Amino acid sequence: MADTMQVTPGAAGTLPVAPVKGYWHSVWGRLRRDPVAMVAGLVLLAIVLMAIFAPWLAPASPYSTSMLTRLQPIGTPGFPLGTDELGRDVLSRLIHGARLSLLIGVMPVVNAFFIGSMIGIVAGFVGGRTNTAIMRVIDVFYAFPAVLLAVALAGALGSGLVNSLFSLTVVFIPPIARVAESVTTKVRSVDYIEAARASGAGSLTIIHRHVLGNVLGPVFVYATSLISVSMILASGLSFLGLGARPPTPEWGLMLNTMRDAIYVNPWVTVLPGLMIFTVSICFNMLSDGLRSAMDVK
Amino acid sequence: MSYFLKRILYVIPVTLAVGLFCFSLVHLSPGDPMDAVVSADAPSEVVQMVQRAYGFDRPLPEQFGRWVLRAVQGDLGLSAANGRSVATEVFSALKNTLLLTVAASLIGFTLGCLFGTLAGYWQGSLLDRLVTGLAVGSVSIPHYWLGMLLVIVFSVELNWLPSSGAGPGSSGDWAFEWAYLRHLILPAITLSVIPMGLVTRTVRAVVAEVLANEFVEALRAKGLAGTRVFLHVVKNVAPTALAVMGLELGYLIGGSILVETVFSWPGTGLLLNNAIFQRDLPVLQGTILVLAIFFVMLNLIVDLLQAQLDPRIKRG
Amino acid sequence: MVYKNATQTWRRTGKAVALSIGLAALVVPAIAKAEQTLRIAMTASDIPLTTGQPDSGFEGYRFLGYTIYDALINWDLSSADEVSGLTPGLAESWEVDEENPREWTFVLREDVTFHDGSEWNADAAIWNLDKIYDEDSPQFDARQAGNVRGRIPTMDQYEKVDDHTILFTTSEPDAWFPYQLTFLLFSSPAQWEALDGDWDEFARQPSGTGPFKLTRLVPRERAELVPNADYWDEQRIPQVDRVVLIPMPESSSRTSALLSDQVDWIETPAADAIPRMESQGMTITSNPYPHTWPYQFSMLEGSPWRDINVRKAANLAVDREGLQALLGGMMAPAVGTVTPDHPWFGEPEFEIRYDPEEALRLLEESGYGPDNPVQARALISTSGSGQMQPLAMNEYIQQSLAEVGIELEFEVLDWESLFPNWRRGADHQTSRGAHSTNITFAWLDPFNGFYRFMHSSLAPPNGFNWGYVDDPEYDRLLDEARVTFDQEAQDAILAEFHAKMVDDAAWLWVAHDVGPRAMHPRVKGFVQSQNWFQDLTPVYIEE
Repeated sequence: MADTMQVTPGAAGTLPVAPVKGYWHSVWGRLRRDPVAMVAGLVLLAIVLMAIFAPWLAPASPYSTSMLTRLQPIGTPGFPLGTDELGRDVLSRLIHGARLSLLIGVMPVVNAFFIGSMIGIVAGFVGGRTNTAIMRVIDVFYAFPAVLLAVALAGALGSGLVNSLFSLTVVFIPPIARVAESVTTKVRSVDYIEAARASGAGSLTIIHRHVLGNVLGPVFVYATSLISVSMILASGLSFLGLGARPPTPEWGLMLNTMRDAIYVNPWVTVLPGLMIFTVSICFNMLSDGLRSAMDVK
Repeated sequence: MSYFLKRILYVIPVTLAVGLFCFSLVHLSPGDPMDAVVSADAPSEVVQMVQRAYGFDRPLPEQFGRWVLRAVQGDLGLSAANGRSVATEVFSALKNTLLLTVAASLIGFTLGCLFGTLAGYWQGSLLDRLVTGLAVGSVSIPHYWLGMLLVIVFSVELNWLPSSGAGPGSSGDWAFEWAYLRHLILPAITLSVIPMGLVTRTVRAVVAEVLANEFVEALRAKGLAGTRVFLHVVKNVAPTALAVMGLELGYLIGGSILVETVFSWPGTGLLLNNAIFQRDLPVLQGTILVLAIFFVMLNLIVDLLQAQLDPRIKRG
Repeated sequence: MVYKNATQTWRRTGKAVALSIGLAALVVPAIAKAEQTLRIAMTASDIPLTTGQPDSGFEGYRFLGYTIYDALINWDLSSADEVSGLTPGLAESWEVDEENPREWTFVLREDVTFHDGSEWNADAAIWNLDKIYDEDSPQFDARQAGNVRGRIPTMDQYEKVDDHTILFTTSEPDAWFPYQLTFLLFSSPAQWEALDGDWDEFARQPSGTGPFKLTRLVPRERAELVPNADYWDEQRIPQVDRVVLIPMPESSSRTSALLSDQVDWIETPAADAIPRMESQGMTITSNPYPHTWPYQFSMLEGSPWRDINVRKAANLAVDREGLQALLGGMMAPAVGTVTPDHPWFGEPEFEIRYDPEEALRLLEESGYGPDNPVQARALISTSGSGQMQPLAMNEYIQQSLAEVGIELEFEVLDWESLFPNWRRGADHQTSRGAHSTNITFAWLDPFNGFYRFMHSSLAPPNGFNWGYVDDPEYDRLLDEARVTFDQEAQDAILAEFHAKMVDDAAWLWVAHDVGPRAMHPRVKGFVQSQNWFQDLTPVYIEE
């Protein structure tokens, strides 16, 4: 479980090495009986569907402004969730905002999952000095709290979506690499790999056949626990003005631009944050459920 | 080599690497560092003059060398935006950030221990489930948003507490008085939810584990006084909870930028935010360096203390 | 030092009351009650430079320029009814040589002293000019030079004639020279000497001749001013005992600070919060002033704005009244660089109005249409001195232009990046390929209002002709106006120039700011002049 503003690879030790076929089937079986995880999963599914079908679901354009209907409160006829400082329909902007907000929240973790796993697996598999060298470089990034690292990179690179995606990817590579390395090191010493080695299988074959399957599962679960942090950080960067740019609908940015209206229409201004919170907590609960479902005791 | 020495020496290469990273940051950035120094209408000869004064005309390795040499002596250069010493700016902001984060940590730690212990004692109860839910919520909430909610309720709607700044005077005047404390309340509560969630989880887990321990179960079975059991629990929980809190303080100091921005709290986060938007690269560099080194040192202290308390670490 | 002690202890009520009574009695015997403190929230994120030539744009001049310092010629800020004019400052009089219109003689005011007690005279004046212009002089300060040199483009030479007379020579005849001198402020040579020639130290303990003295500077947090009881203009000795200036860049923070009584006065309140402030009894002041909020177009190859139909269409597509509503009425629609009632407005044939049908027609004429929209990239800022509500306004414009088929893509910069890009031009890499820039400015004088943007000789890096406008007719009219020392004749030329600008739809004109300020009802005596600068001296506090 990763908490909001830090990224700890604490999960590594407890993650099981998954050897058996049908394992994932039994994980799913357990997960299905976890009501909290299932509800969280369904809410997330609904939000993802909302993002995909935004243009059909949204009652209005997220961009069309109207000076006559500015800063309407929640429950105004025609604007169920009110309007923002430019008279745009907040409901429509929230629905459309799901696209970018989910993207910039999930993408860094996905990127970091691939890059970090690769680094970790290579380090863990090769071992020795190479491992030490790679992990020491990774360690340097641990000298920065995640928020600071993200803000420092995004701030130095200048505002923009690509820069904020890049910064967050860099933030998540080290923890994922660490977990991947630690799991790989464990898997490597497992008997059947020694056996495969003894039978003369090449390194690549071993990595491909045995290591990947056994490592990526646990790393994946760990990565899912980072999505919640990533959502908060990505929207946070937009909130600071370092991510998405106006007039793009994005939840963090909406929070930022509506802040001036906090004295006029306070409860509308907090809605985008509620979305971030919902997505973030659902990812956390789902990831918790996944972890305990995988935790064969 | 002893664990302690090794751990301490390890800080040196990390610090150097951190320095290199901070220095490179400036050169990652697209803008001209002169943008913040001279106003738009300065003639080009003035631009060059100032460039020389700031040393921006030197080759990069030389700039890095000078920067490290000066940084070691506590000189982080001059702010590009206002010409003041970066070190002075960062350290006066750090004082405010420390004030905020220590307050937040205290709140978070106290509540976290309380909730965690309650939940641990009555594991599986409704209370436990409430607390667990609260803990998940508190680590999932975008805290800058929580800050806005608090502002809406306590500043906008009720007008009880101020929503920005550190107090009526400047930060140098800070005193333990209501006039200043009322400014601290909302940001400190906002920032405290993160350590609260974490400490709750940790304490709950450890308490549950300790109570499941055979020795304690035996004590309880004999119906022996709750106090002894409780003391036993405290003894076991305290080191872990304190270690979590120590690290968390570091994360808060580095991570308070969003909350400081919401509350215009004059700390390092706000300084960093301003530096980013003014493209004041020396301040950006200096703030990140100081925060990172602070964090590295805090990690070191926590590690050493933990090793002292738990001999297994030294051997491992 | 007395003041410093006072500030450190002022919150300890008992002592503070005693001390401030003492202070008030010293400074303003007439109103010797509690200390009158005026707390102002500025929009800047830091205290502007206090050494003499402030940074942070005109807000810097407003609060830490004309308060602590004087120029040779000051702005007359006493009237709310007409656009502010010039008034003698540290110079009592000045005149241009009729034979050689490049020479200006200035007679300096006598019996003026700096805050440290040293005397203002021709030597002090020359010393200050060297501070800006002589890079070999010990007092040369690159920072101050950078802040002011560009505002006085024709300064060439200066010399002392006698103790109270100095002579300026301009690089070419320039009827607008007196306007430019309002930006040159004079710091005390004696104080600088006393501080071992350290400008950073001087910033903390500045000494000027202005109506206020700075007693405390906490970077990024506050600056405190107290009255200069010996100010040479007795009419302008400040009424309050102390002014506290607090940087507060977030408009919601300023609103909240005012409503929770942490400050008495805020600059540029969020328009939407104005009704709420009024309902809580706050006073809102506003007055139009020489300010324009435009899009300045690139005339470089590849810019869609090279087509006059596109420029006209943009001007017809923006519903300025709608925008006015967006800003809670806190703007005036702009149909040219200057306001229509100004002598420089002229009589353009192209009437700027809201007429989307005509805009569509013009675009169609140029071959654009729904399937073939105009695509333009625009530089905008997130905030900034005088930028009003840049994000909201630009989003509104984007929407308006989209409705007639002009698609704007924004490059959003922070103010501190957008502003320096101005002198670099549309083709510089920091412009990111944009076709327009959105920087508000003052048209206090013809040079700053027209010349620096429209004269071909001021294309980057020489000036702010960001879009490389190169039209011989503009150059001719501007050159002529600049050497016409007769005011009426000059106005006529400028009117012709401005009418041509409007007929060409040279820019997209959107708004004039009205400088909204919100203050607590206890703040009295403030006269909001039609200017960027404001006079704090008549303001007093009445509970």
